[in-house]
Amino acid sequence: MPVVNIINIKKQFQDQEVIKGMDFQLSERKCIALLGANGAGKTTTLKMLAGLVKPDSGSIVFEGAEKADFRRLIGYLPQFPVFYEWMTGNEFLEYAGQLAGLPKSEAKDRAKELLELTGIAEAKNRRIGKYSGGMKQRLGIAQAIIHRPKLVMLDEPVSALDPFGRREVLELMDKLKKESAILFSTHILNDAEEICDEILFLHNGELVESGTLTGLRTKHQQAKIDLAFKENTLQYAEELSLLQPVSSMKLDGEYASFFVEDIEYARELFLTEIMQRNLPLVKFEISRTRLEDVFMKVVQK
Amino acid sequence: MNQWMTLFKKEMLEMSRNFKWIWVPLTFIMIAVKEPLTLYYMPQIIDSLGGLPEGAVIELPVPSAGEALAASLSQFNTFGVLIIVLITMGTIAGERKSGVAGLILVKPVSYAWFVTAKWASSMILIWISYFLSYFLSWYYVGVLFEFISFMDFLQSFFVNGIWLTLIVTVVILFNTFMKSPGAVGFISIGIIVILSILSSSLPHLLEWSPALLSAYANAFIMGSNLPDELLPSIIVSVIMITLSLLASIAIFKRRELA
Ligand SMILES: Nc1ncnc2c1ncn2[C@@H]1O[C@H](COP(=O)(O)OP(=O)(O)OP(=O)(O)O)[C@@H](O)[C@H]1O
Ligand SMILES: [Mg+2]
Repeated sequence: MPVVNIINIKKQFQDQEVIKGMDFQLSERKCIALLGANGAGKTTTLKMLAGLVKPDSGSIVFEGAEKADFRRLIGYLPQFPVFYEWMTGNEFLEYAGQLAGLPKSEAKDRAKELLELTGIAEAKNRRIGKYSGGMKQRLGIAQAIIHRPKLVMLDEPVSALDPFGRREVLELMDKLKKESAILFSTHILNDAEEICDEILFLHNGELVESGTLTGLRTKHQQAKIDLAFKENTLQYAEELSLLQPVSSMKLDGEYASFFVEDIEYARELFLTEIMQRNLPLVKFEISRTRLEDVFMKVVQK
Repeated sequence: MNQWMTLFKKEMLEMSRNFKWIWVPLTFIMIAVKEPLTLYYMPQIIDSLGGLPEGAVIELPVPSAGEALAASLSQFNTFGVLIIVLITMGTIAGERKSGVAGLILVKPVSYAWFVTAKWASSMILIWISYFLSYFLSWYYVGVLFEFISFMDFLQSFFVNGIWLTLIVTVVILFNTFMKSPGAVGFISIGIIVILSILSSSLPHLLEWSPALLSAYANAFIMGSNLPDELLPSIIVSVIMITLSLLASIAIFKRRELA
């Protein structure tokens, strides 16, 4: 069941078209990554979904928002969260929980639970003004999920974190996936690859590609074979590239990379040729398309 | 209403954490009480500053109790207004500028509650500071000059307080459509100054102007006749306060927060 339906939203700042018509759907208990380079429009998209920026046209329809305020259904972590510096972490969470509609006692319990879960329990009675960047990020995540929203939107939740923090937050998101839909933006492809079901590629304000991780891999699969010879790599590579299935070849310093259509067939063909001619092979490696390659490919279109 | 209390309590807590509950009443008391004291001790002050040249005789008219208290009242309309604008100009604009409003208002927070909780907490701080300082001033005038009837004091207190309330409300209104506290302060002061100058230079045209309330408040303590325009100008003020508050809420709802 979709949690939210986004239909052809557009946004312009001054005369710059930042979002150029975007459609997508978010479903329950799915984790979706919004991928894109700096300035692609990730933050603007999330702000529109959170109601902080109004789209110029198009619509954003939350399931169940006809009856109640849609803000009950969402939790949002801005890219650079700012808090009331004079509050303690615990006070802020209780405040956020109560504003989100939790009764006071429940807000207290949830605050306690989330302080533990996000690993800032020991700083809970310190003023937020004295928190480090990573601690604020964790507090930001905690306030976003305190009311158990159906859709959690996180704008670069792990960019400000150290490797341990990153690990912890990714694990937290993995758990969160069981109760809520998650939409998070990142430009770190590894993070998306690790916990996401679906991926939206944003480029210059347009969705250039989207789909499930496996779907995208299959679609953009472009098997690559790296080859190196003891000597004359260039000459041999050029001879090999004359063989039929090679779609392109790239010489990269010591070795040559072949992009081929059918990896099994190409392997067979190359190896036979190399054996027959007894070429001085030193490296033969088959590598599969990673998300990064898909990203590069769709962005260059 | 639950949510309103949550928002209101946060404002009250904030005002005590940043010591507004201490320095605002103290500043108000200083600017108000200073007037009767300096008026009373003026001869001694002049003496201690070297006195008057030999033979010079200056008759310092002894001010009446009403004049001394009126001097306090006029302080509220200069320094007092300045302080009020200073402490309220960032109440919403500041939160939007820093970005914390973006975090709070994606929660299902009622915009009306948000604005009115801010308004109510500012009102409480200002009315309490104003009462304490004006009351002390009234007391000192009583001790040093003579006591003015408490009823007259109270009436002037409330009439002038309506003008101060309108100022708070107008500053909140500008808060809802400007993001920079500095700009809010600047425009609010500008409007107040223009309104006051217009009202006092064209009193026959703008006799219902709220800016004249402070002049009308004077009438109570000076024992002069109450002007007929007092009631209309109170009514106009209350209407303006209500409309400004409603407009604040309506504008705030429509604003983009980020
Ligand atoms: N308030 C604004 N006024 C004018 N232009 C803006 C505003 N907000 C964003 N933009 C522009 O919109 C474009 C997209 O910005 P956005 O913040 O959405 O990018 P992003 O994908 O989040 O980038 P990053 O990875 O750097 O966070 C940028 O070119 C930016 O300059
Ligand atoms: Mg961004």
